[in-house]
Amino acid sequence: MVSSRPEESGDEELVTSAQRGERQAFEVLVDRYKQKAYRIAFDFTRDREEAKDLSQEAFLQAFSHLKGFDRRASFYTWFYRILVNLCLDYRRRRGRISWESLDERTEKGNGLDKIANPAPSPDQQAMGEELSRRIGAALATLPPKQRAVFLLKNHQGLSISEIATVMKAAEGTIKAHLHRAVMALRQRLTELA
Amino acid sequence: MAERHDPLRGACKDFEQDLILYYYQDCAGIERRRVESHLVSCASCRRFLEELQSLLPATVKSDEPSPAFWQSYSREIRARLVTADEKSRWWDAISFPFRPWPVPAVATALVLAVALTLTFTKGRWPFHQTPPQERELVEMASVTDNLDFFNSFDFLDSMDLLEAVEGKEMQKSETSHQPL
Ligand SMILES: [Zn+2]
Repeated sequence: MVSSRPEESGDEELVTSAQRGERQAFEVLVDRYKQKAYRIAFDFTRDREEAKDLSQEAFLQAFSHLKGFDRRASFYTWFYRILVNLCLDYRRRRGRISWESLDERTEKGNGLDKIANPAPSPDQQAMGEELSRRIGAALATLPPKQRAVFLLKNHQGLSISEIATVMKAAEGTIKAHLHRAVMALRQRLTELA
Repeated sequence: MAERHDPLRGACKDFEQDLILYYYQDCAGIERRRVESHLVSCASCRRFLEELQSLLPATVKSDEPSPAFWQSYSREIRARLVTADEKSRWWDAISFPFRPWPVPAVATALVLAVALTLTFTKGRWPFHQTPPQERELVEMASVTDNLDFFNSFDFLDSMDLLEAVEGKEMQKSETSHQPL
């Protein structure tokens, strides 16, 4: 049973309650991790609506499969894996989506922060947007595993061993993917410069 | 150590991977010392590291949605969870008789009932006509077959979740992962 203030309960306690059918306990987990989940999905999609939908889908998948969660990993690691799988699958389902048009939509529609400068001039803003589009396009050309490793490392700041756990791969494999991803990005962005 | 240079704008090939890990501060102990002592004497690798320092942070595109976005996010996910919860409870309720333990129990009882009926009513059913109990069995088998069919969807769903990360559908050119 969750304590009188569920938001103060630990993940394990909340998972136990949710597994017993207390949906409210799971909602506390959602509140706890929704921002992280959204940011991960945003890194993969670079689109606000898609990121919202994907991260919510991950919570729903976790909720539906919660009875099968065997606690060999922490709830967050388990959930993270579901989310990353969905993010990888998203690209496959969407096929070759236009990252450039997504970037444009996100930046124009949502007033996102710009990469280089917190208060850019119109010229700098245009250059920042152009760079962002190029980077989006370069990221999109990476093979999915390389892209996932790169995003988890560069954007999420996970350690190599954490990425290896999430992706169920050896650390050496993760390092090799990261190496290839960085070199490919560097080459693409240099070519475009 | 022999230094082979990348024609693009060279770092030593033997240090490339470690320099990337060094940039991410995910390199410790001997490896870190090896990189640092190499950097002292190699201008190409220093340039490569500087390049990483300017290139990689620029690839991050962050997003800070407004509080209104998060309120709507919470409302939406709660509504979706309620729907999923109701659907799952409804499915649990209708599938209860066909769960793994009741199926053999019900089947055994039916077989026993049919056997006893046939024993005590032998000759009362024309050979070509299926007795009602057997018809029930056939119907039951058909329902459980359908259930297996739906269960296999669940299974595929889970497999999809677990295996998508292995990128089965991904490019064949990639090196295959060694599971932990
Ligand atoms: Zn060097």
